[in-house]
Amino acid sequence: MFLFGKKKSSAKEETVQKPEINTEELLQKAEELKAELDNALDKEQKAKLLTEIGSCYFQAEDTEQAIYYYEQSLEENKQLGRAYTDLLKLYNQKRQEAAEAKDDEKIKEYMDKVQGLMQLSKDVLRGKV
Amino acid sequence: MAVLNFIINNILTQASVIIGLIACLGLLLQKKPAGVVVSGTMKTMLGFLVLSAGSSVLQSALTFFGAAFNAAFGLESAVVASIESINGQAMDALGLGGDIAITLAGIFIVNIILARVTRFKYIFLTGQALLWEATLCVVFAYFLGLEGLPLIIAGSIVGGLFATLMPALAQPVVRQITGSDDIALGHFCTFGYMVTALVAKLTGNKEKSSEDIKLPKSLEFLQDTYLSVMVVMIPFYLLAAGFAGPQACAEYCGSTNYMVYAFLQAMQFVVGLYVLMTGVRMLLAEIVPAFQGISMKLVPNSKPALDCPVLFPYAPNAVILGFIFTTIGSLIGMLISPYFGAFVVPGVMSNFFAGGTAGIFANKMGGRRGVVIGCIVHGIFIMILPAMLSPMLADIGFQNVTCTDVDTIITSFFFVIIKGIAGIF
Repeated sequence: MFLFGKKKSSAKEETVQKPEINTEELLQKAEELKAELDNALDKEQKAKLLTEIGSCYFQAEDTEQAIYYYEQSLEENKQLGRAYTDLLKLYNQKRQEAAEAKDDEKIKEYMDKVQGLMQLSKDVLRGKV
Repeated sequence: MAVLNFIINNILTQASVIIGLIACLGLLLQKKPAGVVVSGTMKTMLGFLVLSAGSSVLQSALTFFGAAFNAAFGLESAVVASIESINGQAMDALGLGGDIAITLAGIFIVNIILARVTRFKYIFLTGQALLWEATLCVVFAYFLGLEGLPLIIAGSIVGGLFATLMPALAQPVVRQITGSDDIALGHFCTFGYMVTALVAKLTGNKEKSSEDIKLPKSLEFLQDTYLSVMVVMIPFYLLAAGFAGPQACAEYCGSTNYMVYAFLQAMQFVVGLYVLMTGVRMLLAEIVPAFQGISMKLVPNSKPALDCPVLFPYAPNAVILGFIFTTIGSLIGMLISPYFGAFVVPGVMSNFFAGGTAGIFANKMGGRRGVVIGCIVHGIFIMILPAMLSPMLADIGFQNVTCTDVDTIITSFFFVIIKGIAGIF
């Protein structure tokens, strides 16, 4: 699109330019955050910690753990934020892997999870949660 | 031979049977157990019949509204923006249900082929939106004079092109909103979003985002879809009946007081919509997952084009502001709509979904100011286009109703232009 052509390249830069990842540091930080979980005062704080843990795993590219902690975070506190947007990416990634492996069950599982996220965003904005 | 003829002439001409067979094919292709195939097929057929029942209720409520409104304000045509009702009337009253169902399957196929062979890897996954698009493709291909196989082929190609190209059109902005190229937007309001984005870009300041201000986190009065539709429709019905007076309404209300009757008809509108949408969900419940599974396997590197709420978390404030300013714009649009073909009553839910998403587009391109100006323009835009389409819909046989999703309207205009060009020769 002529109007938005320039933005296309900048958006690409956004996705291409990743900061250097120190996996060990991230995993260590995740462990430290896990230790704090028991001290969380309320659901909101717990959800925040769970999102941070999920984010560490997400950056360390440990998909399974990232999904687990982000899902826990949304379970504690249904809100629209990083847990939601990263989960969307991760589910889509898993859906693509399932499609390449021609695994019907997994395709359905991750498409259903994406549908669940969309329902959540509708519900949050209409004050249903 | 007599049995075969009986089946062809009496069973395969029934829309519910054709729709059931499409669901059956989808389930068989997924290698589902026999029990699931039978129950899925039956539920899909039931869905069509529920949809038809809802459509009849909706149509009768719309007929009263149209008559009262026209009598009250001396207008030739007052229409309600409801694509659900367009779908219901097309499938039921106009008898195009079978063609629409086959075209829906045809759109799936064209979308998969285009995603495989072109660089546009978008697979459109929003079932309801595809059903609306299939409806308008069939209705306007029929308007063009096509019938049978040519109608289905034309509808499938045009619908498939829109299903592939509309996500592609929105993607430059979606990429900026999501910060990645993973997912696309599958909602046939794209032209409205792009107009909004353009206006916001020209008038706004993207440095001042709507997300930096404090707003309520939700629009609680939209908690119940049908309640919010009722809250909007009751005043319109009462206003129409009040100005039309008892004599103009007598033909419809019999011994019931005309204002009470108008109130109850507004409720009936909601009842019709509720039943119709239940039918639509039942009808699509088996067909869409089948398409999802098949398309994902055939185009594993595809980008799924998902329904608009997928973008809401990226700018929730913009959704709320987008709804508010699109509604303001749609009220302005409503007042000027008679000059474009018909008086159009806006749809509250389409204002929420399309308006909210337009808000996200506007915020990305022009910040808060972009949202305010862009969404007011969006509101006017999504009222003028349906008004322009109304006379053609009335010609085809639709009563007191028009479309909402603007891409389906552009699809319709596309067919009308083809008809015009064909007319020259």
